[in-house]
Amino acid sequence: MATIEMIGVRKTFGTTVALDDLHLRVESGELVCLLGPSGCGKTTALRLLAGFEQPDAGRILVDGEDVTRVSPRHRRFGMVFQDYSLFPNLTGRQNIAFGLKIRRKGAAETAATVDRLLAVTRLEKHADKYPHQMSGGQRQRVALARAIATEPRLLLLDEPLSALDAQVREHLRDEIRRLQLEVGVTTVLVTHDQHEAMAVADRVAVMRDGLLEQIDPPRALYSRPASAFVAGFVGTVNRLRAQRAADGSWTVLGAPVEVADGAGRTAVSGTGVGAGSAAASSSSNDAGTQAAAVAHDLDVLPAPRAVVRPEQLQLAPAPAGAAPVARLVALSFLGAFTRAVVEHPTEGLLTADVLGTGADRLRVGDPVTIGVRPGAGAVVLQ
Amino acid sequence: MSAVVVPETARQTPMPAGERAGRPAARRPAARRPGAGRRRPGLEAVRWTFLVVLGLYFVVPQLAMARFAFQNVPVVLLNQHTLLSRWSAASLISALHEPALWQATRTSALLAVLTLVLDLALLLPLAIVAEVRAPRLRTVLATVTLLPWVVPPIALVVGVAATFRTVAPGFLTSPLALVPFYAVWAMPFTYRAIDSGLRAVNARTLVEAARSLGAGLPTVLFRVLMPNLSASLVAAGGLTAALVLGEFAFASLLLKTTLPTYLVDYQRDAPQAGMALALAVMVLTALALGAVVHLLRRRGLGVSTTGF
Repeated sequence: MATIEMIGVRKTFGTTVALDDLHLRVESGELVCLLGPSGCGKTTALRLLAGFEQPDAGRILVDGEDVTRVSPRHRRFGMVFQDYSLFPNLTGRQNIAFGLKIRRKGAAETAATVDRLLAVTRLEKHADKYPHQMSGGQRQRVALARAIATEPRLLLLDEPLSALDAQVREHLRDEIRRLQLEVGVTTVLVTHDQHEAMAVADRVAVMRDGLLEQIDPPRALYSRPASAFVAGFVGTVNRLRAQRAADGSWTVLGAPVEVADGAGRTAVSGTGVGAGSAAASSSSNDAGTQAAAVAHDLDVLPAPRAVVRPEQLQLAPAPAGAAPVARLVALSFLGAFTRAVVEHPTEGLLTADVLGTGADRLRVGDPVTIGVRPGAGAVVLQ
Repeated sequence: MSAVVVPETARQTPMPAGERAGRPAARRPAARRPGAGRRRPGLEAVRWTFLVVLGLYFVVPQLAMARFAFQNVPVVLLNQHTLLSRWSAASLISALHEPALWQATRTSALLAVLTLVLDLALLLPLAIVAEVRAPRLRTVLATVTLLPWVVPPIALVVGVAATFRTVAPGFLTSPLALVPFYAVWAMPFTYRAIDSGLRAVNARTLVEAARSLGAGLPTVLFRVLMPNLSASLVAAGGLTAALVLGEFAFASLLLKTTLPTYLVDYQRDAPQAGMALALAVMVLTALALGAVVHLLRRRGLGVSTTGF
């Protein structure tokens, strides 16, 4: 267990800036996810931590000790790779024992550690199989056991689940978290999957273009996104026109809303960078690529926009004669809730979640009323 | 109407897996090609015709050679009526009793081993560095190793001979003078075999995994890379041996007696026995190749390691 610090780390490849002045502190025993779209620098950050790349500037500290120039083999970090990277000529058991043998642990101690890890990762039955005889999930569990066998100071996971299919992925995700808590090892996990990050991390660091956009616990990241990018990348959002009344209060869709101050970097006026990336009346998907794409073809709008989650909106069939009314264009049943897409005359397409049986009264094509749910919590302005 | 319409916005768009382009995310079972199970009779017929024609093209000359070599029948009488008469291995036995044959074989075998050792010593570290540290070096190496094939052997021999005659006159008199020529000649094959082996085992992340577990260079080389490259090293060895055992131009130009030059000379003096010997060498080579393939298959290393 150790505290890890990256201080002002910068890394370029040719003319491409992969990381720009990254400051990151991972507390002892903490699991931090680096989340971001492809090319945001998260893998570079991990490889710098592992020692496979050298930073152009900045320092990496482990418990205050500078390891920036220490070779990977002396850092005592464990690493799990996306493509498992097990030694094909060794069995599962031998793979796990590899690091212990290098550290010259005794045969008895090595065997005991390996047996314990095989039990913890539920691999006893597959211990003597070669990697090519195992399934993807089994291989990745061997890789995980191999990485923690040497009691590393830091565990690095480079998209460990992205080569697995959905069911195995979810199972192994929970297993990684369970194991991490059990061993108590400080962990950095790189992923582009927001669900994965939100599910396992103590804190999620959202990265974009080599910069750290925000680092916060999952709940705070969701309810208080620091920027339009984070809001769009983590969960689904609507960006709605916000109006300011004379008394300084704000209204969205005609209803008064409580406004959060964001997590620091939010531009409250309509002219800041945040407003620049707000698309005209949009509800955006949670994939970061879309948020980024949207950011390109926008008009800078004079009015500030409020970031409203689908569950903060409420829908009802429109009473006859009310105008102007929105129209329900799509419904999709997602289990605990139903996601509705509504076409609004002034705000464009909006996404709203209807809980439980509330959607039974709704029909695609019908006029509906849409508003901010009373007591739905604060919205973020940008 | 019930809730069946899935709006565009509600769909999850998975990001492309892996940022490092060009690297396989994982070895997944290959997707079945559509229609792979169906048999199209027209295509089948074409395939079989092709195979039969090709087979005849290879087999007929060899059968003719076999008749010439192993039948004690004058050539003009070798027809369908004498198909079964007077077969004998006498010519082969007499050929095998020539001590010069064994001398030439020893020379060629030694040349093959030394060539392989020299090539591996030169190319293995380079290929590993290229794969693990400097991927851009790979294309350079692939091109450079091919260069000698652009130069005809005669030009190479004349150029090199002219140089060595002034620098080290003793060098060219030894039969081992062929080793550098063969090493250069075998480079493209050796390099490609090693390179594809490195890529097949994803050497880069294997090395990284080993290093993060505390492995030093010797451990990485001898306990991680070498064992997993055995298939491609065997392939490299087989290709090098085949090349050296069959190379004629360099040996002939430098007036060395290797197996191929001996065979040619011997055939001039004893055509029948020479042909028998050539056939025997060919069959032995084929058997050796089959054994190697079988061995690799049994070890689960039957991946394509030759790069072709």
